[in-house]
Amino acid sequence: MALPRRKHIAEVPSVAMGDIAFLLLIFFVILARARDDSHIQWVPATGADLSKPATMRVSVSIDRDNVTYLNGQKISHEQLGPALWNPEGLKDKGLLYNVPAGKRTVLLKIHKDATALFFEPVIEAVSGAGGELHHVLEDTKK
Amino acid sequence: MKLRRQTKLLIEPPAVATGDIAFNLIVFFLVCASMEPDQGRPMTIPRAEKESRQQQTKHIEVDLTRTAVFMNGNPLTVPQFEKQIRTSLSDKTREEDRIVGVKCKPDVAYAHWMNVSAAIEQAGGIVTLVREERINVQ
Repeated sequence: MALPRRKHIAEVPSVAMGDIAFLLLIFFVILARARDDSHIQWVPATGADLSKPATMRVSVSIDRDNVTYLNGQKISHEQLGPALWNPEGLKDKGLLYNVPAGKRTVLLKIHKDATALFFEPVIEAVSGAGGELHHVLEDTKK
Repeated sequence: MKLRRQTKLLIEPPAVATGDIAFNLIVFFLVCASMEPDQGRPMTIPRAEKESRQQQTKHIEVDLTRTAVFMNGNPLTVPQFEKQIRTSLSDKTREEDRIVGVKCKPDVAYAHWMNVSAAIEQAGGIVTLVREERINVQ
């Protein structure tokens, strides 16, 4: 009687693959959240004695073509206020609703040549919604 | 000669992809590390309130055109304005007296507005936007 030869199966250890995939997923999510307005074309105005914002919850941008964006999405001046603060809204009560004072930082990324016709309504809407303005500028020392 | 059967198998995981994974991780770490938060200047603008005409005249009024600055009607350059506003606000102790109304022409650039607002804030002033209401008459 001939005995069959034992087959040895070599398996690649795949225990760490799940961890690596999970880490990659987290990195992608973080990058996607942090860079969601990176496509906007704008040049910051200059300033001195600059500081870093306490939080980066909301960003409002005005690009070279005077188009306004809220967190990277186009928005009109009329819609900006309710999008930030709308306690009467049924579903969406605004991005700053229930956010305690001191953490309502709104990053303003306004192109240096944008005119008052476009940036004044934005500043008015943000301050009217209780947002704490933080103008993003380029340090004059650089 | 008698050959010995090799019973002990050495199993090595394929290490080809490990380099790629490590490289990807390094790139991601570098990208994340270079994400410095944006620097800038915080600004507190009081909420709009309807004031009587008499109260409004107490505040310093700054008018901005595309190239010039007018302080209470007097044309100034930006360096002159910085000195003037510092002098005007130096004796103001109450918060309501340090309110400076900034009125802009529609074609004023943000960089110009920012320079003037920064000068007001550095002098201890509180910037408020003064906007004209436009009423369409049919």
